Amino acid sequence: MGLEIRDNKSNNGFCPSMKLPYFAGRSARLAGAMTAMLSVSACVIQDTPEKVAQVEETNDPFEPTNRYIFEVNRFLDEMLLKPVAWWYRAGVPDPARERIHLALANLRLPWTAVNDFFQGEMKRAYDSSARFVINTTVGVVGLFDVATGWGFPHHEEDAGQTFAVMGAPEGPYLMLPILGPSNPRDAAGLLVDYVADPVNLVLNNNGADAAGLARGGASSVDARERNLETIADLERNSVDFYATIRSIYRQRRASEIRNGAPDSTYPAPSLSQQK
Amino acid sequence: MSRRGIIIAVTAALIAAGNLPAAAQGPSAAASVAVTEGSQFVANLASRAVGELTTDELPLPERVSRFRTLLTEAFDVPAIGRFVLGRYWRTANESERAEYLKLFEDFIVQTYVQRFNDFAGAQIRVLQTRAGRENEVIATVEAVLPGRPAARFDVRMQRDDGRFKIFDVIVEGISMSMTQRDDFAAVIQRNGGKVEGLLASLREKTRAVP
Repeated sequence: MGLEIRDNKSNNGFCPSMKLPYFAGRSARLAGAMTAMLSVSACVIQDTPEKVAQVEETNDPFEPTNRYIFEVNRFLDEMLLKPVAWWYRAGVPDPARERIHLALANLRLPWTAVNDFFQGEMKRAYDSSARFVINTTVGVVGLFDVATGWGFPHHEEDAGQTFAVMGAPEGPYLMLPILGPSNPRDAAGLLVDYVADPVNLVLNNNGADAAGLARGGASSVDARERNLETIADLERNSVDFYATIRSIYRQRRASEIRNGAPDSTYPAPSLSQQK
Repeated sequence: MSRRGIIIAVTAALIAAGNLPAAAQGPSAAASVAVTEGSQFVANLASRAVGELTTDELPLPERVSRFRTLLTEAFDVPAIGRFVLGRYWRTANESERAEYLKLFEDFIVQTYVQRFNDFAGAQIRVLQTRAGRENEVIATVEAVLPGRPAARFDVRMQRDDGRFKIFDVIVEGISMSMTQRDDFAAVIQRNGGKVEGLLASLREKTRAVP
C-alpha cells in the first residue's frame, strides 16, 4: 500500500495529536472516528515530498480504507451484479434491452432538466424537457427515441455536477460501499438525486415507494450489462485496477461537469522536447 | 465606437475583402494546412488499421507485428512512455529507462491489439479537426460498428519534422495517457517508489507478447 500508517513512525514527519471534539450524544463515536481518519490523513500529508506530491495527484488520503471497500465491492459485483447482468443479456433479446435502456434514460430527463436549470443552462433545460415530452408521448413512455431525430440530443445531469457548477469543492476521493467511486460532493449529490428526482417523488406520492428502488436496481443492471466488456477489459489491461478506476472516475466526472468541453488545464503536449 | 471597436471592424473588413497582409496571414494559413493534413493523416491511419488488422484469418504473431509497425509509425511511443512514467522518469537510471520503454511498447501493443479486435467492420471517419496549442492538432473521430452506438474519441497529435505523431487519445473526456500514468504511478508507489516494482509487473504482464 502506498500510504500505510506505520510509514509515519519510521520517518520524522510531524503527527498532530488527536483532539476529540466535545460532541454530545450518539454522534460522538462517529465524530471521533471521522477525526481519527482526518488526523491520519493529516499525518500522511506531513510525509516525504514524494508522498505529498502523490496525495495531491491522486486526491486519495483515505486510500487504504478505500482500497478495502473497493475489494468488498468487487466481491459483491462478482457474486451479484455481474451474474445478474449476464443473465439479463442471455435472457432478454437485444432489441428489448435497447427499449428498456431508452425508457430508463427517459425517466432521468425531468431531473436532468431541473439540474440544467440550476446550472443556468436554459437551452439544455429546454432540450431535456422537450425530449421528455416527445419521447414519453410519441415515443411511447420512452421506449423509442424520437426526440434525437427532431433535434433534441440526449444528455444527463445530476446534483453532483450541479454542486460543482455552483462552486462546491470535490473533496477527497471516496469509495462508497456498494455505490462505488465517489467523493463528498458526488455522495451528497447521489442522496439529493434520489430524494428530489421528480419521477421518484411522483412514485412515492402514489404509495409506490418500492418502485423508486426497483428503478435504481434496473438502472444498475442495465448499466452493468452495457459495460460488461469495458470493465473486463480495464481489469485485464491495468496493472493497478483500483488506481485505473480512480483515474477514470475523476477524469470522467471533470469532463461531465464541463459538459464534454475540452480540458483547458491539460498539460501542454511538448512531449518530444523532453528528450 | 471605441478605438478597439474600430480596429476590430477594420480588421474584419480587411479579412472579408481578402486584403489582409500576407505576413499576418502566414501562421493561420500554416495552421489550417496542418489541420487539413492532420485530418488526412488520421483518416489514412484509420483505414490502414481497419484494413490490415481486422482480417479474420490473421495469425496472432502477424497481427501483433502489423500492429506494432502502425503504432510506432503513427504514435510517439517513447514520448508517451516518458509522460506516463511521469516524475519517476527522472529517478530511473539508464538501464531502467531502456527496459521500461521496451516493456511499455509491448504493454501498449498487447492492450490495444485486443481492443482493436472489436473494430472489425468498423466505419471510422474524421468528424472535425482543429488546431490546439503550440503545433498540436486535434481530430475528433467517430467509429461506427454494426449494431452498436457510435464511439467518439479525440486524437491529439503534433507535427515533428513534417510527420504527425499521435501522443494521446481521449475517449469521453478520459485521456488514455493520463489513465496509464495514474495506473503506473500507483504501482510504483506501492513498491516504495521504486521503478523496479513496475518493471517486474510489466515483465509479468507482457510475457505472452510475441
